[in-house]
Amino acid sequence: MIRRLASLAVVVAAALGSYYGTLATAPYGLMWLAEAKLAKSGPVNHFTHTPPVRAERQFVVRPSPDLLYSVCPYDLTAGPLEVTAVPVPGRYSSISVFDARTDVAFVRNDEQMGGEPMRVVLALEGQQTPAGIDTVRVRYATGIVLQRVLLADPSEAAAIDPIRSKARCRTLTG
Amino acid sequence: MKAVFKWTGLLVLGLVLGIALAVWQIRNSGLGNDVRVGPWTTGRDIGTAHADMKTRAVVALRGLLALPAQEARYFTAATDSAGAPLSGKCRYALTGGMIEARWWSVTLYDPGGWLIPNRWNRHSIGSGRIPVGRAGGWTVLIGPEEQPGLWIPTGTDGAFELTLRTYRPHGTLARDPARISLPTITRGECRP
Repeated sequence: MIRRLASLAVVVAAALGSYYGTLATAPYGLMWLAEAKLAKSGPVNHFTHTPPVRAERQFVVRPSPDLLYSVCPYDLTAGPLEVTAVPVPGRYSSISVFDARTDVAFVRNDEQMGGEPMRVVLALEGQQTPAGIDTVRVRYATGIVLQRVLLADPSEAAAIDPIRSKARCRTLTG
Repeated sequence: MKAVFKWTGLLVLGLVLGIALAVWQIRNSGLGNDVRVGPWTTGRDIGTAHADMKTRAVVALRGLLALPAQEARYFTAATDSAGAPLSGKCRYALTGGMIEARWWSVTLYDPGGWLIPNRWNRHSIGSGRIPVGRAGGWTVLIGPEEQPGLWIPTGTDGAFELTLRTYRPHGTLARDPARISLPTITRGECRP
């Protein structure tokens, strides 16, 4: 009886450990896969301004055809990352930062930008950042910066491209 | 030696069971199950550090790069308002009213969260497409064949899901999404 209970305890303990371990590590793994996929379509620490979403062109799960996306997979190993963007007048736009665990570290939309360009620096704890610029401290070296711009119709993309293309990711060195 | 094999086998069995259960849960859970409004479900902590492990894992698989609730609330429906699974063979009427958000859209996906190819390249209807004066009472048709007016093709004979995005929610939608009214999904004719 005791041996059977001990056997059951081993199975249950191992199952609980691997269950919670899988739940805990899945977001990191899925984010890593997304970063690797995005890095194939454009360099790390630079924005890639993707064309309107279509069924045959989906860069991430559950994309919205009503949004134009620009993506910047980042790696802060070489230094903090400066992110700049300008709002597209008269429509929703936002810049958001997702860390390696998929948590949102920062969001700023066009209303919060107040019609003005935005500038923010992403940095790990301990990294030096320029004075006078908003700094977002993140826990992990890698993640994704995402720009969303509302697209009422795919034909608007050409007119929006010059404005959304002003978004920049840039490693700050020295 | 026999005992070592036995305990190793039990350990491996437990590990495999735990991983299998976790993968099954991640793959089969809705995109946030904290709040249910008719056929729609959403989560309160999507995209935040407060999300529990399961929510974070499900969102990573089924809605990676989702924004937190103050910026956007995402509602997902895999059934109609009567509780029947959504089928690409059927016609549906999505009927709604004013939604307390800066803008919203309804998008059709396969159960994995991917857009389904269709010859119209149409996958969603946004609030900007609702005619002026109809924001308080509108209907979007969903079905396999082309229909007049606001329409989204199913593009499949299989199951599908709808995601309602509400950006910059305010009012009750922002404060207490369980108390709002969301569009009803009414099934019509189904082809064999």
